[in-house]
Amino acid sequence: MADDRITITIDGVEVKARRDQTVLEAAIEAGIYIPYLCYHPGMKPFAACRMCVVEVENGRGFPASCTLPVAEGMKVRNDSSQVHELRRDVMELLIADHPHGCLTCHRVDLCGPQDVCLRHVSVNDRCVTCPKNERCELKDTVRYLGMEMESPLEYKYRDLPVETGDPFYDRDYNLCIVCGRCVRICEEVRGDNAITFTERAGQALVGTSAGTSLLESGCEFCGACLDVCPVGALVESDHKWEKAQQVERTICPHCPVGCQLNLEVNRFDKVVRSVPEISSPANRGQGCFKGKFGLDFVNSKKRLKTPLIRRNGSLEKATWEEALDYIAERLDEHRGDSFAMLSASDSTNEEHYLAQKFARVVMNSNNVDYTSNTQPDAVNAQRGVLGFGAATNPIWDLEKNDCIVVFNANVTEEHNVVAVPIKKAVKEGAKLIVIDPREVELTRYADLWLRPKPGTELLLLNGLVKSLLHQGLERREWLYENCSGLESLREAMASLEMAEISEQTGISQDTIDAAVRAYGPAEHSSIVYGMDNVPEELHTDCTFALSALSLLTGNLGRPSSGIYPLKPGANSQGAWDVGCVPTHLPGYISFEDDEGRERVEQEWAAGLPETEGLGQQGILRSGQVKSLILIGDLDNSTADALQKLEALDFLVVQDTFLNAAAQKADVVLPRSSFAEKTGTYTNLERRIQSVRPVITLKNTAATPESWALCKLAQRMGAKGFDFSDTAAVMDEIARVAPIYGGVSHQRLEKEGRLVFRPDVGNPLPTQVLYSDKEYHGIQWPCLSTESSGVEILFANGFGDAKPQIPIPRYHKAELAEDAAFPLLFTPGRVLLQSERKMTVIKGLSNRIEREEVIEVHRDDGQVLGLREGDMVELQTNGASFKGRLAFREGLQRGVVSSTQLFGQLMVEVEASQSPDPMSEIAGLNISAARLVKVE
Amino acid sequence: MPPSFEEIREQGLSRWRGLNQGTRPWIRIGTALCGKAAGADAVVAAIVERMDQKNVSAMVSEVGCLGPCFAEPLVDVSMPDGSRVVYRNVSPELAARIVDSHLLEGQPLADEAFGAIGNHLNGSIPSFWDHPMMKPQRRIALRNAGQVDPMDIHQYVANDGYAALHKALTEMTPDEVRQEVSDSGLRGRGGAAFPTGTKWNFLAGAKDPVKYILVNCEEGDPGAFNDKGILESDPHSLVEGVILAGYATGATKGYVFIRHGHDGPIDRTWRAIEQARQLGILGRNIFGSNFCFDMEVSLTGDSYVAGEETALMESIEGKRAMPRFRPPFPAQIGLFGKPSNINNVKTLAYVPQIVLNGGRWFAGIGQDRSTGTAILCLSGDLSYTGMAEVPMGMTLRQVVDEIGGGVPNGKALKLLQTGGPLGGVLSAVDLDIALDFDAMSKAGAILGSGGLIAASEDACVVDLTRALIAFCQYESCGKCFPCRTGMTHLLEVLERICRMDSTQEDMTLMGRVGRSMQAGSLCGHGQLGFNPVSSAVRYFREEFDQHLNDKICPTGTCPGSWHSPTRVRR
Repeated sequence: MADDRITITIDGVEVKARRDQTVLEAAIEAGIYIPYLCYHPGMKPFAACRMCVVEVENGRGFPASCTLPVAEGMKVRNDSSQVHELRRDVMELLIADHPHGCLTCHRVDLCGPQDVCLRHVSVNDRCVTCPKNERCELKDTVRYLGMEMESPLEYKYRDLPVETGDPFYDRDYNLCIVCGRCVRICEEVRGDNAITFTERAGQALVGTSAGTSLLESGCEFCGACLDVCPVGALVESDHKWEKAQQVERTICPHCPVGCQLNLEVNRFDKVVRSVPEISSPANRGQGCFKGKFGLDFVNSKKRLKTPLIRRNGSLEKATWEEALDYIAERLDEHRGDSFAMLSASDSTNEEHYLAQKFARVVMNSNNVDYTSNTQPDAVNAQRGVLGFGAATNPIWDLEKNDCIVVFNANVTEEHNVVAVPIKKAVKEGAKLIVIDPREVELTRYADLWLRPKPGTELLLLNGLVKSLLHQGLERREWLYENCSGLESLREAMASLEMAEISEQTGISQDTIDAAVRAYGPAEHSSIVYGMDNVPEELHTDCTFALSALSLLTGNLGRPSSGIYPLKPGANSQGAWDVGCVPTHLPGYISFEDDEGRERVEQEWAAGLPETEGLGQQGILRSGQVKSLILIGDLDNSTADALQKLEALDFLVVQDTFLNAAAQKADVVLPRSSFAEKTGTYTNLERRIQSVRPVITLKNTAATPESWALCKLAQRMGAKGFDFSDTAAVMDEIARVAPIYGGVSHQRLEKEGRLVFRPDVGNPLPTQVLYSDKEYHGIQWPCLSTESSGVEILFANGFGDAKPQIPIPRYHKAELAEDAAFPLLFTPGRVLLQSERKMTVIKGLSNRIEREEVIEVHRDDGQVLGLREGDMVELQTNGASFKGRLAFREGLQRGVVSSTQLFGQLMVEVEASQSPDPMSEIAGLNISAARLVKVE
Repeated sequence: MPPSFEEIREQGLSRWRGLNQGTRPWIRIGTALCGKAAGADAVVAAIVERMDQKNVSAMVSEVGCLGPCFAEPLVDVSMPDGSRVVYRNVSPELAARIVDSHLLEGQPLADEAFGAIGNHLNGSIPSFWDHPMMKPQRRIALRNAGQVDPMDIHQYVANDGYAALHKALTEMTPDEVRQEVSDSGLRGRGGAAFPTGTKWNFLAGAKDPVKYILVNCEEGDPGAFNDKGILESDPHSLVEGVILAGYATGATKGYVFIRHGHDGPIDRTWRAIEQARQLGILGRNIFGSNFCFDMEVSLTGDSYVAGEETALMESIEGKRAMPRFRPPFPAQIGLFGKPSNINNVKTLAYVPQIVLNGGRWFAGIGQDRSTGTAILCLSGDLSYTGMAEVPMGMTLRQVVDEIGGGVPNGKALKLLQTGGPLGGVLSAVDLDIALDFDAMSKAGAILGSGGLIAASEDACVVDLTRALIAFCQYESCGKCFPCRTGMTHLLEVLERICRMDSTQEDMTLMGRVGRSMQAGSLCGHGQLGFNPVSSAVRYFREEFDQHLNDKICPTGTCPGSWHSPTRVRR
């Protein structure tokens, strides 16, 4: 409210401020520059650097403006000579500990910004050899303060070895100014506490608490500390010294969180750095190891540059003309049900749309899906109950929850930034209940960790529903008003025996009751669920049970009370929305909906097949499909899947690299990466955001699949594929899919809010350098151009669509017992495991190898005649790896667990040439296994 | 059902009668840190062993510190007839002789006695309280020190213990308790001398069902040992003071924050809390009132700055002891985000007597706005070192000459270092300053926590300043830039001066660094961190000049050998 703001003056300039602001915050908002080094937006002030000291009229001394609350009529002096003198004196002390020769060099005016000068400044004292040169806040602050060239203080170089032992980034504590930003972001924002202050006084620095490597200290390599480091102490090891020529904002292609990233590009059109955007509503300045360090593939020399056609058994270079002609000719034989289309998990909305339109209009086939659509039943089940198969609330709503249930989802690894608000909520006192047979990072934070026997997940959820009703924790009044079906659910649950559920799942009745007591009465609770390791036959009913839990406690339609399905794939949500699934047309128009279908037919001026098609599993396994266009690589390139591809009559693959699937293709088309595309992604909270071209590659014929599909469609005589650009595709989506009705590229760009920041020129520090424009995207449903989207679904109630509380089946999945592989392997991930030996393979960045720990229950170990510490090989059907055996009481009997990330897989990832090596890690699935002792 | 106060009091009095007027002698041996350092443990063992050998029956108690630490180990023998002799510098061999002669034969060893307490010996041994160190004292907070067994709550109760608490809970409202404290004019004894009543009013005004009373016994100053002395000698006086503070301010819990490693104070305080809890003096509905309160002991890491009030709260919360910024002040957002009040041990130890005797009584002691007594720790080049409690208003010269007994061996006094390292130094010529917060601050010194270190003419002031800054530098927490870097540079410069490797320019440099620290630092450690240098230069400029210009150390101390870690890690 405008009335609520008070007025202060800074150097005579009147500034409006909110009552809860500090002077520094008010100044930043007003565009007045006050220097600072330890403050950083998004974190609590720290008051250590004393750069932001000011004078206050009638006040004592020199308070730090980062901690000084505003007061009506306050008169602040930011430019008095005493203030400047104090800042300069403190800075002088500071740079006596930090290399600064270039700053006080008498030739500094003659020196170009990237000259490596060997004349006047000793090696240890140079700025020009620092990876952060010209991106350094300290340097810019020194310039701003106008420091003297001569200092009577003695400069000492700390002479510490640069720490290059950990993957992804280097730490040079000779450059550290101990501002504490890295320590605070790790603790305050990320909740990880991987690093801390060490020593004290003049020796105070940053390190791990026990002096271990980051790998052993719980670091998840999110890179948040790098993004806040004001100096060159923390820098990415790849492209360490590269200077950015331009910066472009786009969306990360690795997972459906939809992080806005600022990609820095050098003058050779190489993406050299990725910095998460602080004003982005989906990630709030946070990223993860994938988005921060896993984008180098776009720079790879091994990328496909020309189309390839298989001639005489081998793939040979061809022109686009030849390739398209050839494909058009061959596809002509396969119109109808024998054709299928698989779009990539990182395709844009426009590309998903064109892919499904191509399949349906040109090929008259409904066999269309995207490669990572591994849990369609769960999506459809949630749609069936609630009407939407997407998260009901924004991601950062989780921050304010009182209780969060995480069901079979490795959030930290696969949807990393979602774990950030979860951990923050836990820190603020929220209860966290993790249901997962695997150990995942969040289990470390969990109040309750329920580990059901694999296959009994649904029984456990039934138990939770029953216990909730039994304890009378359902919100009856809310339910009477908003839902139906409470009584039938109660009846269905009445017949269940808690004792049996406890027996089957291996989880005690008390634990189930305790979980319900934590979840049920919480004012704001949310459910975050994936279907990792859950047998497919249970997906529908598990989702029913989870939706029932949400409904029974009335945790819908309010802030911080929602349900969050987590799907794999960056734009999986968009694929569903624009109909790139076999079961729906764009905008979730079902095939039974004649009216809807006719409307689409009219728009497309084409007749459509009337029945649902095959999904990605069916496409590969039914035998019905003879020809396939595959965009990107398969989600899981197992030997079996590749064999199925080989058996096809005709396979076209458009991919960025010659991956496993592409190697089986008849025609391979070079594909542009996300960094060269225009389009939109829809993230898991339904936020439609712009993907912008970041680089322009030379000497390549790679194109986005949207271009290739349109050309091909035209070549095959289809109408409705002559789009001028992808914006025109979005306009058509808006006409076809009502939930996207008000969305257009123009609007997404236009609604970027210009934010006033201090002028980064003349020579103010680089703080918040990248934030000049805020893009908030649009959260569907956005039915018209007047609508600004919907942040929280059902905020105005359910209207006419009163949900029926679903009744989950009471069913247990029998996991095939294989005498040869008697155990069940549930791969997990723990960042910290002290007993693990870790070696870093030197010379190769981002590559580490650690000794695996293979965990079983003591009883199983004894039956197998194994002892703790034995070297064993874990064998599954098709894969194996070695590790050290450890007994864990928390594990169910019959289950083997291991910790995979940053272990064996990491090495494999490095060796592969996959365009998206990081997302390969996602494929951790339950499988039958056995243990063999090795010498 | 816990016992009533009357029952507790009766039990205490009967215990006390048994000890003093029973059939057996009562031997009290000072085993506070000063006693232990002088070998009191061996003396206890020797006495017990000798009593066994000779088949003598007596009660032996380990007590705290009577004050004259230079005379430790002190052995205090009281006979059933009421006579009482305190022996000084007792060795195990002397201990055996005391058993043989005094206990067995009833012949006190007059030559080995420090003094007699009471009038039963007809002056054959001079009175303990007439000793020059003891005579000027007025004991309020130290009234039980060395007299009662700190591990026995009943002895404390017998000496008016918990009477103030009982009075407050049964006869007074919290407002009235705060009023008495305000009336007494009591000011914080931790160094800042802030009026305690006002501070309590801040906390009483905070609306939160959970509030904390924090007791600061970090006491990391070299030459300060009176907080630890009180906890080791009479922990119940603090416990009672904390509970009273809790009642007066509506707090729910107290934390006694003690520097780790000081096992005596830690064990005895912990034990005192435990005993109070057993008697229902801590816990729910104390003495049948509606007031509920509990306490615990919390330990610091090895950090001087943990004694800064906000760093102390960080430390109790389990974090690195680094000061927070203010506002918000502890009375708004303190420990665990709750309103909190922090007092020094000495401040709270006065409170029971103030409540019992009235604020006016306390205000009548001392002078002007410095009421009550000062609890001093004397160390360094003095004849009598130890812990003393004197009325405010006495001059520093009186303290040094009378209580301290002057510099031994006829040497002249050169300077006095008061109030911990940050307090700086005072020249011997300038000692006609009254022990008075305002007078001292006017003279540029601080009373601080009461530590007084005397240095004779043999001491080199430059080397002493270097040692003080070395301490301050080592103890800087490393958070705010001016303190972290400034202390280091000051130390580097002082080391240069001590090595005769410096010029006058370094003096200007120190002045500049000092100014940044004073104006720019986050907490008192950095703000006051230049005091040792500035005060030393003020009084002893010529000695610095001799080092700088003539490359001479007049006392022959410099360059000594030292090792202080600064910036470069090993």
